Amino acid sequence: MDTVAKRLYEALFLVDSAQATSDWDGTVKAIETMLERAQADVLSIRKWDERKLAYDINKKNRGTYFLAYFKAPTAKIVGLERDVQLSEVVTRFLILRGDHLTAEDMQKETPAMIQERTGQAPVEIAVAQEVARNEE
Amino acid sequence: MKPVKKQQKRRPATIVREQTQCRFCREKVKYVDYKDLEVLSKLLTNRGKIFSRKRSGNCASCQRKVSLAIKRARYMGLLPFCI
Repeated sequence: MDTVAKRLYEALFLVDSAQATSDWDGTVKAIETMLERAQADVLSIRKWDERKLAYDINKKNRGTYFLAYFKAPTAKIVGLERDVQLSEVVTRFLILRGDHLTAEDMQKETPAMIQERTGQAPVEIAVAQEVARNEE
Repeated sequence: MKPVKKQQKRRPATIVREQTQCRFCREKVKYVDYKDLEVLSKLLTNRGKIFSRKRSGNCASCQRKVSLAIKRARYMGLLPFCI
């Protein structure tokens, strides 16, 4: 029996915020199902951030990002991309190869986690730091 | 015959070296992450355009990595194409 070599991939999915909040489990499940269909071993899937988009996408100005790390056969990625494209849940996505990623990178704190911990968005923290630096 | 003056030792002038390496090479960054908006936004004008190499001080290879990362972030709606 031949084993198919699997590569590590990183994917970011953009989902409409209203839909994500109304049906959180359903949204995560839909993403997981698509990954499973591509014979992917999901290492992690979590919320990356919920933010205002830099420009309107599908007439929406807010979006929730899901960051997923998974191992999948290279040949299945094209099918996965097509599957996500046809999905009504995901507005936009980006799948990249993650050969350079370490376990540390994958467990890196996301903006959503920082906001949960500090109660302030990372952007707000950066602005506050910048202001403090200018005052000095 | 003129008296020989004792030569005073010259103090070395303080050398101000220009930065010889770009900000990413100095920190030995091998991959510029498109999700790292704090870093990327420093390399954009306030109208969302990418700074030139001359302005950002990046080396050619890092500038390529940065521009790719910015373009990925723009596609995902994290950074604007133009303001």
